[in-house]
Amino acid sequence: MEEIKSTIIQRIKTHFSDATEKEYPYNRVDFSVKKETIPAILFYLKDEMGFKHLSHISCIDWLEENEFEVVFIVWSPTDKIKVFVHTRVDRENPVMDNVDMIWRQANTYEREMREMFGIQFTGLEAPEEFLLEDWEGPPPMRRDFDTEAYATNTYWERPGREDAKDIRETIEKRSGEILPDFAKKYTR
Amino acid sequence: MMINDKNSQKIVDIIQNYARKHSLWILAYGTGCGAIEIPPTMTSRYDAERLGVRGAATPRQADVLLITGYLTTKTLKRVIRVYEQMQDPKYVIGFGSCTINGGMYWDSYNTIKALDRYLPVDVFINGCMPRPEAVLAGFAKLQELIQAGKADGARKYKENLEWYRANQKKVIPNWRMPEYNW
Ligand code: SF4
Repeated sequence: MEEIKSTIIQRIKTHFSDATEKEYPYNRVDFSVKKETIPAILFYLKDEMGFKHLSHISCIDWLEENEFEVVFIVWSPTDKIKVFVHTRVDRENPVMDNVDMIWRQANTYEREMREMFGIQFTGLEAPEEFLLEDWEGPPPMRRDFDTEAYATNTYWERPGREDAKDIRETIEKRSGEILPDFAKKYTR
Repeated sequence: MMINDKNSQKIVDIIQNYARKHSLWILAYGTGCGAIEIPPTMTSRYDAERLGVRGAATPRQADVLLITGYLTTKTLKRVIRVYEQMQDPKYVIGFGSCTINGGMYWDSYNTIKALDRYLPVDVFINGCMPRPEAVLAGFAKLQELIQAGKADGARKYKENLEWYRANQKKVIPNWRMPEYNW
């Protein structure tokens, strides 16, 4: 395992000069690269090193650093090792290369990220709408989107839950049911 | 059935309501997490068919629309269409705290928080999620209401259609829906 991991790190580092690695225990290796390198490194991992399976693409919003972090997780069924490829994208102008010609299922993840974070993938061919319908607000998974304020303004809320009281006391009063003592301990 | 004589109308109503309350066909349509409680309710352990509750494949055949949990605005659109296609008599059961006051999705950006603003609800079943016993209790309550002639959500919807429509259009900005005339 350790040998395979160090060969992977060596091969990636000789091929991609901008890759910095971070090692994790067990079967995980992380690389951080510039966003321009992403298609090349994924092609290399898939075709040359046997990382045939794309497990996941996820996105992290680093609001304070004004960047998005996109993480590609690939898995090698022969070596039983997973590689995480991290990259950073500018938050003001989030444009990235589309990679759905490497794995077709990347298309779905990219559509989701486009809708939820507003990251544009150049050359991505897919309808604009994915999960949300008629959405007019900003991308909802961005951290500066105030979900609670949006929900309060858009959807009518039934009064009565603001105080976050335990309803068991109310039920006790109404129905005459007697709460056991241990239950009272947990009431707020 | 409408009869001119008042007393015979009463008798007809009683018979009609009795028949209706014993054949509640629910639409096989599940939203949210609560739909997972329907199979145990229908199958041998709790056997809802004792009460005349069974599944129906299409909205036209169904009497009861179960809203089994949170509704996103996207689903709400479909649910409204389904409800409007159903034929009288029709009833709505709101299922779980999500339909009552938003439940644990109270601060979600795309789920509605009170179902009865958008559709007339005859019975609410609380719980997150309600167990099959609670579901059966809800059906029993609905039967009671039907027998008493009080389950009149569909009439309420027809009479206050404007109010419901205004609420629906508030959360569904792009309203491209057929108008059904019952
Ligand atoms: S009430 Fe609970 S179980 Fe039902 S849809 Fe909401 S979260 Fe899910």
